[in-house]
Amino acid sequence: MKQFRNMVYPYVAWIAVMIVAPMLMIVLYAFTTAGNDVTTIRFTLDNFARFFSDQVFLDVLWRSLFIAVITTIICVLVGYPIAYAIAQRSEKSNMFWVLVITMPTWINMMVRTYAWVGILQDGGLINSLLGPFGIGPFKMMYTTFAVVLGMVYNFIPFMILQIHTSLTKMDKSYLEAAADLGANKVQSFLRVTLPLSLPGVLSGITLVFLPAVSSFFIPKLLGGGQYVLIGNVIETQFLTSGDWNFGSAISLIMAVIIMISMYITRKVDTDPAARGKED
Amino acid sequence: MQKQKHSLASKLLLGLTVLFFYLPIIYIVVFSFNDSRSLTHFSGFSLQWYEKMFSDRTMMEAVGYTIFVAVVATIVSTIVGTLAAIGLSRSRKLLRNVVEQVNNLPVMNPEIVTAIGLLMFFSSLGVNKGLTTMLLAHIMFCTPYVILSVTPKLRSLDPNLADAALDLGATPLQALTKVIVPQIMPGIVSGALIAFTMSFDDFVISYFVTGNGVNNISILVYTMSKRVNPSINALSTLVIALITVVLIIVNVVPIIKEKRRTKA
Amino acid sequence: MEKKLIEFKNIVKEFDGKLVLKGVSLDIYENEFVTLLGPSGCGKTTLLRILGGFLEPTEGHVLFDGQDISKVPPYKREINTVFQKYALFPHMNVYNNIAFGLKIKKEPKDIIEQKVMRMLKLVNLEDYADRNVTEMSGGQQQRVAIARALVNEPSVLLLDEPLGALDHKLRQEMQHELKRIQQEVGITFIFVTHDQEEALTMSDKIVVMKEGEIQQIGSPTDIYNEPVNEYVANFIGESNIIDGVMLEDYKVMFEDKVFDCVDFGFDKNEAVDVVIRPEDLDIVPRTEGKLRGIVKSVLFKGVHYETVVETKLGTAITVKMVVKNGKPVFNAEANEKMSANDFYLDTADVDELDAATIIARADAQAWNPDTDEFVSIKDVVYQIKKENGTYPVTFSTAAGTSVTVNMIVKDENRVANKEYEEEIFAVNFFKNADEITESIALDTDLKTWANASAWSLEDGKAVEITNVHYDFDPETITPGVYDVTFSTEGYEYKVDTTDKYEVGDIVGLSFQPEDIHIMSKN
Repeated sequence: MKQFRNMVYPYVAWIAVMIVAPMLMIVLYAFTTAGNDVTTIRFTLDNFARFFSDQVFLDVLWRSLFIAVITTIICVLVGYPIAYAIAQRSEKSNMFWVLVITMPTWINMMVRTYAWVGILQDGGLINSLLGPFGIGPFKMMYTTFAVVLGMVYNFIPFMILQIHTSLTKMDKSYLEAAADLGANKVQSFLRVTLPLSLPGVLSGITLVFLPAVSSFFIPKLLGGGQYVLIGNVIETQFLTSGDWNFGSAISLIMAVIIMISMYITRKVDTDPAARGKED
Repeated sequence: MQKQKHSLASKLLLGLTVLFFYLPIIYIVVFSFNDSRSLTHFSGFSLQWYEKMFSDRTMMEAVGYTIFVAVVATIVSTIVGTLAAIGLSRSRKLLRNVVEQVNNLPVMNPEIVTAIGLLMFFSSLGVNKGLTTMLLAHIMFCTPYVILSVTPKLRSLDPNLADAALDLGATPLQALTKVIVPQIMPGIVSGALIAFTMSFDDFVISYFVTGNGVNNISILVYTMSKRVNPSINALSTLVIALITVVLIIVNVVPIIKEKRRTKA
Repeated sequence: MEKKLIEFKNIVKEFDGKLVLKGVSLDIYENEFVTLLGPSGCGKTTLLRILGGFLEPTEGHVLFDGQDISKVPPYKREINTVFQKYALFPHMNVYNNIAFGLKIKKEPKDIIEQKVMRMLKLVNLEDYADRNVTEMSGGQQQRVAIARALVNEPSVLLLDEPLGALDHKLRQEMQHELKRIQQEVGITFIFVTHDQEEALTMSDKIVVMKEGEIQQIGSPTDIYNEPVNEYVANFIGESNIIDGVMLEDYKVMFEDKVFDCVDFGFDKNEAVDVVIRPEDLDIVPRTEGKLRGIVKSVLFKGVHYETVVETKLGTAITVKMVVKNGKPVFNAEANEKMSANDFYLDTADVDELDAATIIARADAQAWNPDTDEFVSIKDVVYQIKKENGTYPVTFSTAAGTSVTVNMIVKDENRVANKEYEEEIFAVNFFKNADEITESIALDTDLKTWANASAWSLEDGKAVEITNVHYDFDPETITPGVYDVTFSTEGYEYKVDTTDKYEVGDIVGLSFQPEDIHIMSKN
């Protein structure tokens, strides 16, 4: 109906201004030198060259990728058993547990991250609980451990929910068929459940890796001022040094890395050959 | 699934999961009532940090801004998003695909990328950073979630419903308000809820686009967390309580409604 | 004749460059029950939606009571629609669904209640006012949809395949119900369907459509008895449609015989379709019929038998089956048995020949006689040329058991039928008697063994071989040479009879000149 169709046009104008224009500005700034005005735009690749020629920035990039990958792996390894344990329960119990997992995600991420400070501090909850047994004290704040823990804490619900959805969506008759064909529990898990839940794992990976690689307040809060990830570099460029061109270039590099990793994940998802010999 | 004994490992795992998810939250709530400054030793019950919080002007302002921005952004993005989704469902495929792709950008992109884009955009237009920019930014990143939550409801709608309303003499506006909107209400409500919490909890985008002393709760926690300040615990507890109340209302009201309906 | 209510004037509708309606003109009168009939994609629903106001025609005009309404929005038209799958508002109960239009018009509450109740009575749903529409059966929803439309007192009711979602029995019930309602309220119904039975039982006027064009407009009897072309004939009821040639006016030739008919105005020797309805054919003793045939199947249809009479075999080929009493070779040393048959080949097959094909065609098998387990055939040694002749082939297993048989290349294995434009192929073959006795689907096996296939000479598409004929008794077959005939479907006539005939009876078919309907091709 034409009357309804017209309702989309104001929104088209809005997203052109509020979504497309800012994105184009990032690209424009990334490829130009500082001090542009409308009349003189000087294109350059210097911003990218600067990033890739400076060991400091490359180290930051590797560290960010490393942290994100570690976080993602932990989320898969820990999240899968949790999702599986939930999926084994009754339908009602499933609803309850999904709520349990979802609830914390509705609460402010900053607040939840801040909450760990008290627990991880030198004199914090963990150390004061371990102290009487003569263990510790451990230094946990401002370590890689704290940063990864913060990320896992914040992002693992996405992984659990994705895997859980793919497990519960799965037709139970596949398992019955597998049992009927002589597969024992372990075999039917490895040969039926696991391959069929792989799409859930893959979308969980995207949902964890993406925020993990770009996060900047978790490292700041739990890793301290010295703990610099790529998100922190971008923050500095924009809010302290004011070098928008360089900052835009770095965020473009980050966006490309994320795009590549998402492309690979999707490729694995659609390419049966990459899923192993079972198919 | 038939009634079965769940293994000890499964019970243990889920127990630890609950502990992991809720311990920090409980911890922060408990220590907001602590008598002393310490974040590690609970020395006695007191409400002094709440008193401090309520008398702290910046904190109260931040709470005010957060709620104001969240409410306005939710209302605007819910209306805009719903109308856009309905329009999209009737649009040509090409336009629909393009808009859906662009719409997904703020959802898929890292928040920091969206944030710096908006920062540069507002600055280059010469808009003063503050409440206006924060509000515009929040509407911008909330609307796609409303569209994403309304669109599936529209898809499952009988395509003839609107035609049927027109056929029976309803004007297009009446068809919209009397037939389409009531049908997709669950999608609109959950879209609004997502929009509200996204806005209420936002840190990254607000942090980049705000200025002139306009802060929200997340920014305040971020800047104040560098020093030990138990008022933050009180503030955090306030946030947790607020969201919990919202969640309880959202989850319990439909159950009560359903019970009433089945009784009647 | 009643007054003209709706006039479609040369309606053209284009979607993304595709013409869905190619200039449709149609008049509809007051109090008519009009059916738009055609397969999906013929444009019937598009025409209905244009009348309802949901689509604008690309070209042409729609007149309602003499006024052009092409630009009038749907909510201002005195027309209501019963939608496909009903489009009931799921968030309203039955009462509110029906009251929707009246509430929009802001009619007083008591009037609304009266009208809704009257409608509920009309559609036999008096007790369902408070029911949730999502909890109702398809038939009930259907009635609500009709009531919701009729309560607005439209001058025309449009029904878009409303019975499509119902099961067969319910559909028949609703057909009568709809007709009754139409007569009771006395307004024009325009009904869209692809079901000819629905069209025939309910309509005053049927409009048969195809690919955006009207094929024929007429009363059910007109259309049934005098379809203008094969398309309409096929769409309206089951018919026997036979290829024929119009020799001159009133003379048609089909099945190589000349018959009198009542049709004229065709070109001399024009190729035509001859239509004879099943109920116009009679079965008579074989000597008295105009055509003679054999009863192929009899199906009881409730009030009559649908008897299929085949007047002529299709394309046929007869091949020789050589039955031997071959014993398998026994290799005591390796404890293996092995067997294989000679087989025939067409020269054209030589190119595509490989070991697997040869094993299959020769039916070569090796097995352990104690365990009955198959032993795989390791080697297939052969030499063959692309010319007629006999070529030996030797199969052997790893243990050294081997059998040699002949591959006989020979042409003349195909029969073409110019009249039918089809060709059939089969080869002579060798078999052991026990293989025939043990076959569990002999017809299929015979086709496989003879490599029988048939195809159309027009487009090369496969034609099914429906008959396999032989004279031996498979249970007691002894070595010797037997004929096996494969044939495709011949001319078949469906005949509605009240008497039951036995399959295999040879009967005559009789009909009158006026029972023959001639239609030009296309």
